[in-house]
Amino acid sequence: MKFSFFHLMPYPYLPDDFDERYDSTALTYPNANFSPALGASLYARYLDELEYADQLGFDGVAVNEHHQSAYGLMPSPNLMAAALTRRTSRARIMVLGNAIGIRGNPLRVAEEIAMLDLMSGGRVDSGFVRGIGWEYFGHSINPTKSRSRFNEAHDLILKAWTSPEMFSWYGENYEYRYVNLWPRPLQQPHPPIYIPGAGSTETMKFCAERRYTYMSVYAPTRIVRRWFDGYRDAAADLGYEPDPERIAFSVPVYVAETDEKAHAEAQPAVEWLYRKGLKQTAEMVTPPGYMSPGSLRGVLSSGMRPLGGFSYEDLLAQGQAVVGSPASVADRLGKLYADLGGFGQLIGLFAIGPLSHEQVMRSAELFATEVMPVLRPLGVMRDKATA
Amino acid sequence: MANVVPAEEFAELTGGRVHLLRGGTGEPVLFLHAAGGAGEWHPFHGLLAARGFEVIAPDHPGFGKSDDFPSVEAIDDLVFHYLDVLDALGLRRPHVVGASFGGWIAAELAVYAPHRIGSLTLLSAAGLRLPEHPVTDLFLLPPDKLVATLFHNPPPPAPATGAAPDLDAIIAAYREATSLARFSWVPFLNDPKLERRLARITAPALVAAPSDDRLIPVEHAKRYAERIPDATYTEVPECGHAMYFERPAEFAALVADFLSSHPLVMAESGAGL
Repeated sequence: MKFSFFHLMPYPYLPDDFDERYDSTALTYPNANFSPALGASLYARYLDELEYADQLGFDGVAVNEHHQSAYGLMPSPNLMAAALTRRTSRARIMVLGNAIGIRGNPLRVAEEIAMLDLMSGGRVDSGFVRGIGWEYFGHSINPTKSRSRFNEAHDLILKAWTSPEMFSWYGENYEYRYVNLWPRPLQQPHPPIYIPGAGSTETMKFCAERRYTYMSVYAPTRIVRRWFDGYRDAAADLGYEPDPERIAFSVPVYVAETDEKAHAEAQPAVEWLYRKGLKQTAEMVTPPGYMSPGSLRGVLSSGMRPLGGFSYEDLLAQGQAVVGSPASVADRLGKLYADLGGFGQLIGLFAIGPLSHEQVMRSAELFATEVMPVLRPLGVMRDKATA
Repeated sequence: MANVVPAEEFAELTGGRVHLLRGGTGEPVLFLHAAGGAGEWHPFHGLLAARGFEVIAPDHPGFGKSDDFPSVEAIDDLVFHYLDVLDALGLRRPHVVGASFGGWIAAELAVYAPHRIGSLTLLSAAGLRLPEHPVTDLFLLPPDKLVATLFHNPPPPAPATGAAPDLDAIIAAYREATSLARFSWVPFLNDPKLERRLARITAPALVAAPSDDRLIPVEHAKRYAERIPDATYTEVPECGHAMYFERPAEFAALVADFLSSHPLVMAESGAGL
C-alpha cells in the first residue's frame, strides 16, 4: 500500500451566517469574505504540512485545482507543486489534477508538468480532471464540450510529451501548427497519469485501456465499490488484472491518541467539509451537458443523495471519513480495503476544513508512525510481493 | 375559434428529423419557440391561427421531439438549419415570429437572409450583447427561482404529490437545457456581431416586450427596435418574460394585428418553391 497526503487548501474562515446566506463556498460566494492576510498565512501553513508529510515518509504529497472557491485555494496546482519540488526530497509530487476540461491552452499544461518533472527529478504524477460543474460557469467554458475538451487535451498532452518530432494538431477544440515541446519530461515515456472516476463507465474503460491510476472521489463505500469493480472489469475485458496500485481510494482521515479525542476534534471538521465546503446547488453540480443523459439517469437512479444531508455518524459508517485512534483507523481502513475489493493507494485528506495546524501535523504523524506500518503489506501485486 | 387543433409532422433534413406542429389556414407563420415551450401548442398558437394564419411551430435541434443534430453547434449553424427547414417546408418568404431564444434565431435569420423573411416579430428576443443590461443566468437558477423570474405574477407552486420524480421528464429537461447551452453558453445568449448587422433586415418588424421582464431586460427589445430599420416597438403591461404563457390573448392579438397589417406578397410567400 502506498500513502499520500492530499491537500485541498481550504479557506476555513466562513462567517457564522454562512448556512443561511450563501448557496455555496464557490462561484457566487463573495470574495470580500477572503482576507489576503489570512490567505498568505494559510499558504505558508499548508505548504509546511505537505513538506512535513514528505519528512514523515508519506509516499506522495498531493494537490489539486479549484477555482473561485473557499473549498480549495489552488487555482493553479502546478504553482504549489513547483514550491514542493524544492522543499521535499522523497515523496512523489502528485498533481491530482490539472483541470484540462476548462483550460484554454492544454499545451501549457504539458509544458508545466514537464518542467515540474525536471525540477523534481522525476517525482511528478500527473492527474487530469474535467473540472467540476461550477468551474464551467466560473471560467465560461461550455459544459457541453467538457468531455470532448478533456479527451482532446489529454491526447494532445500525451503526444506533446512523447513525440520525438514536431507535429501539427487539428482537433475539434484546439489547433496548433507547431507542437515542439521544450523541455520534455524526465520520466519516460511520460509521468504516471491519474484520473478520478465518479461512476462513468467511459472513464473506467479509458483508464483500464491505458493502465492509468483510477482514483475515487468522496462517495459511500457501496458506490465506490461499484466504481472499482467497474475498473477491474474493464481491465478483465482487456485481458489483464490491474496492479492494485492503479486503484486509489480517496478519503478524509483523522487520527488522535484516543477515539474520544479523535472524534471530538474531527466531527466539526468533517461536517464543515461536507456541509459547508462542498455546499453547492444542483445547478452548480451538473450544468447542462456536463453529464450525458445516460450518466445522469445512472446517478439519479443510484440513490446518491447530496453529501450535506448525511450525519457525521452516517459519513463514518459509509466510509466517507475515517477517524479514531491509530489502532481504530488501521482497523477501519483494513475493513474498507476488504469492502472495496482492494486498492493499492490511499489518498488521505488530512487537513480537513477548520482543523488546526497542530491537529493536522499530529494526525499525520500518528498515521505515518502507527497506521502505515500496519497497512503497508496490503494492496501489493502478488508477484511483486513474492519477488 | 381558438381551438384550432394542430397536425403533428416530421420534416426530414439531411442531419435528422424536425418535429413540428401545424395548424390553421392562411398566410404561413414560422414560429420559433423559446428555451421552454418546444412541442407545445399553446392557446397563443390557437388564437393566432384562428385569426387566419397557418402557424408552423418546429422544435429546435435537441428540443422536444426533434433530433439532436449534433453538428448544429452555434447560432450560425441554427441559421443554416432554419434555411434548410424553410426549404424543406416550401416556405419562400413567410412571417417569422420568435420568442426569446427563438427570437434570437429569427433576428439572425433575417440578417443572413433578408429575402426569406416576409415579416419579423421578436418577442423579448435574446441575442444582443448589452453588458450594462445583462441577461439573468437562467442556467444557475433553481426551478422555483426560475418561475419567479419568468412571471410577473408567478403561479403558485404545484402541490407536492409525494410521487417519485419523473425520471424521464428530468432527463428530457436536461437534454433541452444541454441543447440551449450548446448554442448559447458562451457568448451567453448573444452574438456580439448581431447588433451592427441588424441594419441588413428589410422586412417590417414588430419588437414586443413584456413590461416586467426579469430575464432579458426590456432594453434589449428597445435596442432591437432602434437598430432594425422598419421596426415598431410595443410593451405588454403587467407581464413577465413568460409572455404568452402569462398573457396569451394579449400576445396573440398583438402578433395577429401586426401580421394582418403586413400581408405577405403572396407570389413570394410560397407554398412550394
